[in-house]
Amino acid sequence: MSPVATSTARPSSTRHQAGPAAHQRRGRPAKHKTDGVAGYVFLSPWLLGLLTITAVPMLMSLYLSFTNYDVLSDWESMEWVGLDNYRTMFTEDPSFWHAVQTTLVFALVATPLKLAAALGVALLLNRPFSGAGLFRGLFYLPSLLGGSVALAIVWVNMFNRDGAFNSFLAWFGIEGKAWVNDPDFALGTLILLAVWQFGAPMVIFLAGLKQVPGELYEAASVDGATPFRKFISITLPMLSPVIFFNLVLETINGFQGFTSAFVLSNGTGGPVDSTLMYTLHLYIKGWNEYQMGYASAMAWVFLLFIGLVTAVVFRTGKFWVHYSDGED
Amino acid sequence: MTASHPLPRRRVLSGLVATMLAVPLALGACSSDDEPAADGKVELSFFWWGGEARAQLTEQALALYTQKHPNVTFKKTWQANQGYFDKLATLTAGNDAPDIFQIDDNYLAEYATRNVTADLTEYQKSGKLDVSKFQKGLVEYSTVDGKVAAVAMGENTQGLVFNKAKLEASGVELPKTGQTWEEHIAWAKDAAVKSKVAGTMDPSADYKAFWVWLRQNGKEFYNGNQLGFTQADVQAWFELWKGARDGKSTPTADVIHEGNATDVTKQLVVTGKALTSWVWANQLPELQKNTKEDLNVIAYPGDASKQWARASMYFSVYRGSKNKDVAADVLNFLVNDPEAGKILGTDRGLPSNLDIRAQVAASTDNAAMKETIAVMDELGKNFGPAPTVPPKGHSTVRSELIKAAEEAQYGRATPAQAAEQFFAASQAAISR
Repeated sequence: MSPVATSTARPSSTRHQAGPAAHQRRGRPAKHKTDGVAGYVFLSPWLLGLLTITAVPMLMSLYLSFTNYDVLSDWESMEWVGLDNYRTMFTEDPSFWHAVQTTLVFALVATPLKLAAALGVALLLNRPFSGAGLFRGLFYLPSLLGGSVALAIVWVNMFNRDGAFNSFLAWFGIEGKAWVNDPDFALGTLILLAVWQFGAPMVIFLAGLKQVPGELYEAASVDGATPFRKFISITLPMLSPVIFFNLVLETINGFQGFTSAFVLSNGTGGPVDSTLMYTLHLYIKGWNEYQMGYASAMAWVFLLFIGLVTAVVFRTGKFWVHYSDGED
Repeated sequence: MTASHPLPRRRVLSGLVATMLAVPLALGACSSDDEPAADGKVELSFFWWGGEARAQLTEQALALYTQKHPNVTFKKTWQANQGYFDKLATLTAGNDAPDIFQIDDNYLAEYATRNVTADLTEYQKSGKLDVSKFQKGLVEYSTVDGKVAAVAMGENTQGLVFNKAKLEASGVELPKTGQTWEEHIAWAKDAAVKSKVAGTMDPSADYKAFWVWLRQNGKEFYNGNQLGFTQADVQAWFELWKGARDGKSTPTADVIHEGNATDVTKQLVVTGKALTSWVWANQLPELQKNTKEDLNVIAYPGDASKQWARASMYFSVYRGSKNKDVAADVLNFLVNDPEAGKILGTDRGLPSNLDIRAQVAASTDNAAMKETIAVMDELGKNFGPAPTVPPKGHSTVRSELIKAAEEAQYGRATPAQAAEQFFAASQAAISR
């Protein structure tokens, strides 16, 4: 082929790829149109929900974040305050920075621990043994109870001065404290609660482990690899897409922690603000102090922040996530 | 079988259309119920927080009103305290607040200064809302910016509840109204040694204790929309209780933190972790229900005449209500009608109307209730003027006080540092 021919062939080939769809659209316009309408009709309940329950309130809250909206007053008395709420947040509200710090500690400690626990238990449960199904169910149970209030109440009682945890310590002659009432430990008990609910990522890890081809391990055994070596060189790389998925999900979850902190502190973030999570601070501002404009601004900063963190996690994924059906 | 009698398609369709048309019409009809209808039928929405027992009493009392005024019916909604104010705020934001709603002094100014509550001054002046038999001070304590924002459904005042049984068993003299704060702290130390239970709950995080102490020192918690105290006052208050903690008159910080919660069941006198709790006097019967130990109540230390008749709960009328006249009459009935008073008892505090209160006291067979009424009647005779309703931002000030006091209790801040923190935070809270 001559160079000229190649250069003309390329555009034609791309045109060819786009061709069928475009051709079909032109070819049978009537049928496609009705199909589209039918599609939207069937989508409409969801679409309506998305618009009225999610999109409109979200845009409203964006608008409110530039106002001094206080929930109770007339709409007419609401004033546009520009960026005041955002400025106050960063410069005049010490509790804001405290809440940011608390949330960072919570998310950055709880998320890796939870993933490690989930992976560890998934590895154990992945071995064939009788009753594996039962144990899988049992380990998943705490996650079913999820962010439930009852669970948080149980937790508070377990880690109180006369709770089950201290009775356990007493066997070893250790006198425990009222962990949930101690500003140095209250957040720790919440982290423990979050880690304990590792069932959901565990189930996903289990599914991922089942996908790792057995031949790889066999080949490694033939080469004399130790179990640890197999874990590092086979399991982790093969599992990395699943780890990535869990990491993104659990990081977002971690930042949004609310229920357990709310229950433990009776909605105050106490003792002495030690459990004042970002979401809890937001709630207090909006519903106890009626600074809904400010709370809306906090929500948007939070959204941007979580978006940013997720984007960073996605970026780093390039360096450590291996897709087995990849291009190389 | 349905298959043998298929519905004609046209009828199904027309039925659907009719339903779709009827639903908005029905909704429209609902909203027009708010207007005083031609036949005089009125439905008032009525919203309160509380438990099962309160719900029964309230429903009975409202049923009695309907019996006497058959044209008036009620749409009643009630729920637990947790989440109540979220719901009320949401309803208010949607211009759909109930005609009559329960509220307390924590939130009254928040709602009244934002014009959510109807001004009841005219009804009070004309006697349609009769407060002539009320305990003095209650009307002032229902007035925000010169407007009557609510009707006090009950009265309480600060009460120091103590474990009488335990003290007697340990041979400790019972505390008495009129002891000074220093005497009380010394008494608590002695009681702790003899009974092996922490002597007195540390009330430094408790705004109502701080308030009484301030008034006894010639100050106020609030002067209008300003703080009525200085940073030095706060520091002195925190230092008083640091001394008590150091002297082992109080429990340890983590136990104090538990007692700083407001629920009745968490009070240390109930959980047995201290011999006293700083509560409202009318809570004695409720506390007594939660423990087998015999409890009793006195005033807070210092000059008891500086305490005041606080409205324990109110009912307010929504500014947007279309039936304010009827709503005012219902409230008048609930506070002044002897039969209604008998039904409601002391559930929302001691009846505001003193005649009704005497009637309830005479008819009750609950010892704790009799005790409470006797103590409060005795204290009430000496009460001076009531302070004004706490201003907007009060609930934040309360939680800031807890935060700062706990910093000091856990030893993470000196009284001076904690005082500085609280003073700055509370100033910011009420000047918003």
